[in-house]
Amino acid sequence: MSEMNNERFEDLKDAYVLGALPEEERLSFEDYLATHPERQAEIDELGAVAGLLAFSPQEQESSPELRSRIMEVVEAEAEPRRDTRRSVSASIGDYLSVRSLALGAAALLVIGLLSWNVLLQGQVSDLQGQVRNAQGQVEDLQAQVEDAQAQQSQTIKLEGSWAEQGATAEVASMEENEIVLVARNMPSVPDDRTCQIWVIKDDVPKPSGLFQPDGNGTATPITNSITNADVIAVTVEPAGGSEQPTSDPVLLAEL
Amino acid sequence: MAERGRQYLILADEDLISLVEAADAEAFATLYDRHSRAAFSLAYRMMGERQASEDLTQDAFLKVWRGASSYRADRGSVRTWILSIVHNRGIDQIRSQASRRRTQERVEASAPRSQPSEAFAEAWRNSQRDQVREALNTLPSEQLKILELAYFSGYTHVEISDLLDLPLGTVKGRMRLGLKKIRDYFESRSAAVPR
Repeated sequence: MSEMNNERFEDLKDAYVLGALPEEERLSFEDYLATHPERQAEIDELGAVAGLLAFSPQEQESSPELRSRIMEVVEAEAEPRRDTRRSVSASIGDYLSVRSLALGAAALLVIGLLSWNVLLQGQVSDLQGQVRNAQGQVEDLQAQVEDAQAQQSQTIKLEGSWAEQGATAEVASMEENEIVLVARNMPSVPDDRTCQIWVIKDDVPKPSGLFQPDGNGTATPITNSITNADVIAVTVEPAGGSEQPTSDPVLLAEL
Repeated sequence: MAERGRQYLILADEDLISLVEAADAEAFATLYDRHSRAAFSLAYRMMGERQASEDLTQDAFLKVWRGASSYRADRGSVRTWILSIVHNRGIDQIRSQASRRRTQERVEASAPRSQPSEAFAEAWRNSQRDQVREALNTLPSEQLKILELAYFSGYTHVEISDLLDLPLGTVKGRMRLGLKKIRDYFESRSAAVPR
């Protein structure tokens, strides 16, 4: 495969936004894009044109059972997730209830559709403000957690091609002697692939944990000791992991 | 609860996605009701049968639920983001199938920030869809066929070249011209490409 350069980028960009590049070419294209961020806007714009194709299919109706199945999973996961965050939805709910009462009282005093509209727009604006406040609170909490983690742990940052694309990965040594790899903003991998952690000592890689990147970030325990190890690496492997690495590391730290 | 559900209907997609990030199931249900038809239609166009299409739609919406924080407003609308997830997951699934059962017949073969009303939003989406279909109708069939083989059926440009017995350069050229023609359609009407 020829080296990626401006000419080749131009040649492949249409196929890229249509999702029509073979895997190796796609990765090479994305590596080039990561080192030329000034071209991202152009790709976003072209991608929006390609994305219009998604609007064109003839309308199809899914079954009501599909909604039930999805909501069953969502409801089951919502509770534990809410437990780990500030109860944003609850505060919104309380707020909505209060506002509903206020609206009821206001309806007695205010006559006419115009006034109703004004109230409604104000409500939307207030809700948006509430959402922004809630997001701010979540961010503050995350910052506090990260500060606390920084004080309690030693971390090693991993470098590599994914880090250049904006992923961050750190190996953190917690107080309980637990070693975890914390990864954020990782590119997604196909369902039949997984990320595998390797602890390498004297050129011998030991499989040391699997994880599937997601948008929220992951924290994966490293199952082998890193004491006296030379390198910690992450590769993309077939689902279930490999005995030995079958691809180049996407993240790497020399110890 | 019903009152609260009605309140969600007046929120814009971008606000709903923030609530989904905070594990609000009802906000997610509102997003699902707004966009599931388009998502399922795309899934059905890619997978060609109901069960696989429902599986793909479920997979994509659970990714929306679990990965709402990865949405970036500056990269496009929530609807476009959801459809891109359906598309990317669909491509992955098509390509990971050991035997491709796709048949030769396949070869023949900006929303407002706040929602004034659900009926208005639906009409807006329908209008966008009609515009896109009209834009695609302006494409020569040989360009449209190549765009559809790539986008909906998951073929790479090299595979399309083999399938249609065309030089690779011709396939790339038709992709480029096809996309340019769609963009020109909107520009000629002084309309922005919907995102």
